[in-house]
Amino acid sequence: MYSESELEILMARYQQGDCAAATALIHRLSPQLHRFFLVQLAGRGDADDLLQETWLRIHEVRHTYRTGEPVLPWFYAIARHIRVDHYRRSLRTTGREQPLEAVHEAAVVQPTAPGGAADLQELLAPLPESQREVIEMLKIAGMSLEEVARATSSTVGSVKQKAHRAYAKLRERLKGVALTEGRAGGPG
Amino acid sequence: MKDREIDAILNQAAQAPHDVDPALLASIANSLGRSLSPVRPLAPAWALVGGLMLICAAVALAGAARLGLYGIQGMTVWDRALILSTLGTLGWLAATARVSEMIPGSRRGVPPGRLLAAGTLALVAVFAILFRDYHTHSFVHQGVACLAAGLFHAVPVALASWLLLRRGFAVNAVAAGLAAGTLAGMAGVTMLELHCPNFEALHVMLWHTAVVPVSGAAGALLAWLRSLRAGVGDPALRGD
Repeated sequence: MYSESELEILMARYQQGDCAAATALIHRLSPQLHRFFLVQLAGRGDADDLLQETWLRIHEVRHTYRTGEPVLPWFYAIARHIRVDHYRRSLRTTGREQPLEAVHEAAVVQPTAPGGAADLQELLAPLPESQREVIEMLKIAGMSLEEVARATSSTVGSVKQKAHRAYAKLRERLKGVALTEGRAGGPG
Repeated sequence: MKDREIDAILNQAAQAPHDVDPALLASIANSLGRSLSPVRPLAPAWALVGGLMLICAAVALAGAARLGLYGIQGMTVWDRALILSTLGTLGWLAATARVSEMIPGSRRGVPPGRLLAAGTLALVAVFAILFRDYHTHSFVHQGVACLAAGLFHAVPVALASWLLLRRGFAVNAVAAGLAAGTLAGMAGVTMLELHCPNFEALHVMLWHTAVVPVSGAAGALLAWLRSLRAGVGDPALRGD
């Protein structure tokens, strides 16, 4: 596990052409970026493609990272751009094949490899995309409000509002699950 | 259910290990390693903002000097101070927004859309305070000439700002285009204030200010068309 400052050092070395630093960054950040894509509705195959595309883009624009700035918002801003691009492309390509009504914003949970991503995906599935990404960045990637605001090109106030709304929805959902489980486990 | 309990559930889900196919990671590392070379990081944001401000000032001054500095000469000191300080502040905000849009993960200042709207309203308000002549002589004819002159001077600013920030990367192309157009429009208005001798309130409030939204909209539209073209060229869209 690397701290933020270690990531900054690795990023600076990557910019200087250090292959070991690039490999370390790939191994350190890929799982969380992959999970970010999985949580954002992508199937495992799509998440693999998006991850690969993200790293290629990161490589192309690695000079835009400035030493001393937080690393994670920079990575996530690019990953988010790739995901949005992918979503738009898929909308355009599937637009002729199926009516627009068939494209739901709510997630359809797809089976994934065993692990936490499937549970997380299921948990966050009812949330709108913008809230889902905020919760993923805040709670899963462990970014601060300021970092999430940077990654999503929004303000801290807007991030707080989305997180608050997401929590309200999650509370409703988890309450519903608890009630169902209570009834199922109750007498009679 | 309390927030703390939701936090605990999310933390539990987050702590579950999530592995990515090692072959995929190796393939990514290999493809990056093949073209790995040292790169020069972007200049600091303050230097880029300063560069953009210089470009705006140079184009506005050069344009006004070429056409004649009648506007600034006809104003009082108070008029000059208020107009130039407003344009300077808005230009700085637009330059900051432009730079932020070209660096992923930057701290967000005023969003370009809000800046365009607020900047336009601020200019209208300042002009309404300073200019009280509500006569209209050749309103459309002179107005269109000023609008065209403002936009004509916005073009080199937009091109030069693109050149200065060409190594940047816009995660939101339309917002970056909007910021670029707004900045260029501010330079266009500055040139008009330095040059235009017509101090009729409606002329200044409508035709001079219009340079900013028209230029901003043009920047956003061009960026959108460019991103569409890039999408059309994409193998995924071609169905390859």
